[in-house]
Amino acid sequence: MSIAKIDWLGALMAVAALLLVPIIARSNYIVVVLTVALCNAIWAASWDFMSGLTGRENFGHALFIGSGAYTAGFLNTALDLNPWWGLPSAAIVAVIFSLVIGVPTLRLRGPYFALAMLSGATVMQSLTIIFSEYTGGQDGLNGIFPIIDSETRYYYLVLAFMLATVLILKLIALSPWGTILRAIRGDEATCQAAGINVSFYKITALMISAAFAGMGGALYAHTLLQVGPDLFAVVLSINTIIFVYVGGMGTIYGPAGAALLLSLLIEELRFLGEFRLWFYYVVLIIILFFLPQGLVAPAWERVRGWATARRRRGLAL
Amino acid sequence: MSALLDVTGLTKRFGGLTAVKDVTFSLQAGEITGILGPNGAGKTTLFNLLTGFIATETGSVVFDGHPIRGLAPHKIVNRGLARTFQLTRPFIGMSVVENVVVGCLAPRVRGDGPTEARARRMLEHVGLGAKADLLVDALPYGDLRRLEIARALVTRPKLLLLDEPFAGLGTSEIEPLAALIRELHDREGLTILIIEHRLREFMQLVGRVIAMDFGEIIAIGTPQEIVRHPKVVEAYIGRTENTRGVA
Amino acid sequence: MLQILVYGAVISAIYAMLAVGFTLIFGVARILNLSHGAFYALGAYGVYVLTAILHVPLLIAAAISVLLVALFGIAVERVLIRPLRKSTLAVLMITLAVSLIVEQILLLIFGSEARNVPSMIDRTFLIGGVDISGQRLLALAGGIIVLGGLWLFMQKTRLGAAILAVSQDPEGAQYMGIPSNRIFSIVMGLSAGIAALAGVLVAPFQTVIPGMGLLPLVKAFAIVIVGGLGSIPGSILGALLLGYSETIIAFNVSIEWSQIVSVAAVLITLIIRPAGFFGKRAAF
Repeated sequence: MSIAKIDWLGALMAVAALLLVPIIARSNYIVVVLTVALCNAIWAASWDFMSGLTGRENFGHALFIGSGAYTAGFLNTALDLNPWWGLPSAAIVAVIFSLVIGVPTLRLRGPYFALAMLSGATVMQSLTIIFSEYTGGQDGLNGIFPIIDSETRYYYLVLAFMLATVLILKLIALSPWGTILRAIRGDEATCQAAGINVSFYKITALMISAAFAGMGGALYAHTLLQVGPDLFAVVLSINTIIFVYVGGMGTIYGPAGAALLLSLLIEELRFLGEFRLWFYYVVLIIILFFLPQGLVAPAWERVRGWATARRRRGLAL
Repeated sequence: MSALLDVTGLTKRFGGLTAVKDVTFSLQAGEITGILGPNGAGKTTLFNLLTGFIATETGSVVFDGHPIRGLAPHKIVNRGLARTFQLTRPFIGMSVVENVVVGCLAPRVRGDGPTEARARRMLEHVGLGAKADLLVDALPYGDLRRLEIARALVTRPKLLLLDEPFAGLGTSEIEPLAALIRELHDREGLTILIIEHRLREFMQLVGRVIAMDFGEIIAIGTPQEIVRHPKVVEAYIGRTENTRGVA
Repeated sequence: MLQILVYGAVISAIYAMLAVGFTLIFGVARILNLSHGAFYALGAYGVYVLTAILHVPLLIAAAISVLLVALFGIAVERVLIRPLRKSTLAVLMITLAVSLIVEQILLLIFGSEARNVPSMIDRTFLIGGVDISGQRLLALAGGIIVLGGLWLFMQKTRLGAAILAVSQDPEGAQYMGIPSNRIFSIVMGLSAGIAALAGVLVAPFQTVIPGMGLLPLVKAFAIVIVGGLGSIPGSILGALLLGYSETIIAFNVSIEWSQIVSVAAVLITLIIRPAGFFGKRAAF
């Protein structure tokens, strides 16, 4: 399995479409919505890298998102640092969190690990509200400075980050590293018996996942220019997982694509008002019952198969 | 000549139950040795202790001159002690060759050359060459056993521990598998330790037998000696009088 | 001091009802039911609707609400959970989805302001110098009665024995002629009913809002993890521990800190002894 020419072509078309957005968009509002969607894509891709590949589903991804976002916000508002510092700092802080929570909990079985991560994120959410002098409590931090003043140019920056995220993570996933991660999903004991240091691979996968999620959080903070305790909420973790389920677990690009599509769709469904959130839950139920492999990646596999078959027939002529 | 594996006083207690009691034996390089015993004798627990999957505080295990008790399983594999599992759990969702490639990525053998080529060669060696690109989910029981062996072999072990390799196989599958094991020993001088129940194939394969019962070693000798050993006979025949049942 | 004793007991009784229902459905059917909090909330809202809108007498409203939620629980199990039983995480996701949907429905119908449910016992009692509302005492009594009744039921009736059999070995029980699937549904109904009863009992003195089920769910989960998944005595012990720690911290430190106790307890338990007090292996 490697990246075929057809995959690059597909990716190019997707990138071209994304590049055109600010040009054909009716307003800056859409550009901002899409920037947020790109952050969602980064979160989804980073979750997929760890949990999609190894099968150790992390129900507390918001921990990394929130810590990244708050780091960026805090450095900017409290310490008055240049917003560019937020990005690497967010990654580092998120990685530290992943070590603190990951090392003791990665040895736990499926649902217990999921629950431990969920608890970790929830504890952080409560702590954020309690220590309000540093974090702004329920209201969070406001008045964060944007990294780039123009919404359009910031969109391109975030787009570049998202593409880099997907590319880097996909390349790792296709490498021997990725083979080992998928083997961990298969069976951990057998993996150990094959001489692989399973704990090392699990914790590093979590760290990588956290780093990218944290950066996504920082980018998000600099989009909406505010952060609040909701960035640690269960709902955020669950929505990310929904994107991955819809996108196709373990494919990296599927979750990113699904995040973009669903975020856009939900925006279009604005007219539904209160019913908007329902959309996600209905989608989730449909996927769980009818499309366990997801939608985006399997759809692309179909297109790919169809296109390659046509080319083969063409050569035979 | 010092032994390849030296086990002294190995003991494991689970709460009130002593699963392995004061086990002491040695393996010389190049031997095929068998471990025999009824269900619950502690054989698989012994394997788990030797390979680091279960920990204990009592006893010592010295492999190739180095103490290994207490090391993590993957570290032990990387010192040249590999094992297979009785209940094979392959990496589902991946192809047969990918399953073996994982073993090629162990630090001990990682630099040995292109992993996929090595994996395919090993699959040929164990007779799975034709099925290399199938998904593991499609393999029958006997082939999964061969895959286990391939995956273990690719880490270039000095000692291979096989946990009931013939369990659940029909006679037509046992013969070729036994032949493969014999070939691995004869051609490559691999030291092998096998746990088994199937007396006939087992006895023909091994040079020496360690008999266990209730966690203890009750006899060590050649297959012929063991079969006649009073304690071994009692362990097996005596059992039919209890409700425990025989292997 | 006595205040802590009494209030702690009330909280523990409520937590115990929630935790026991949660651990019961896990112990018997291996279902991690994240919609448990929804049953609790629906119990409270059920009483509200029946009394405030349909003007049904309070006690009858309580009974009907519990019954309806129990039936709802059975429906959720049969329609949504059973097809997904193979994957624990799929069950987690679907039950979570149910709880989120229920919350949204409640929000849509009733809005986000708290609703008033009349007390069953209006008086305040004086116990050893402590003022405590009759409703709270009723909640405590209700908890004890329900749990005692559950214990008797499990120990003394044939259905109880069947449930225990299924919890130990669903397939084996099936071979003995026990319809495991039906038992799952019954236990789900039981679990939902107890949660709903807890909701009914606390509705008069707790804030009745659509999201009221989330925190109790987290706490029930915490208790069950600490006590050991699938262990009823563990849940009761855990409920007492959590109920009293929260009360002590709330009285001596602050309410906000007391809320962290449960989640922190989960984390600590998972790190130190994942199986909890009486549970089985949870780590690799």
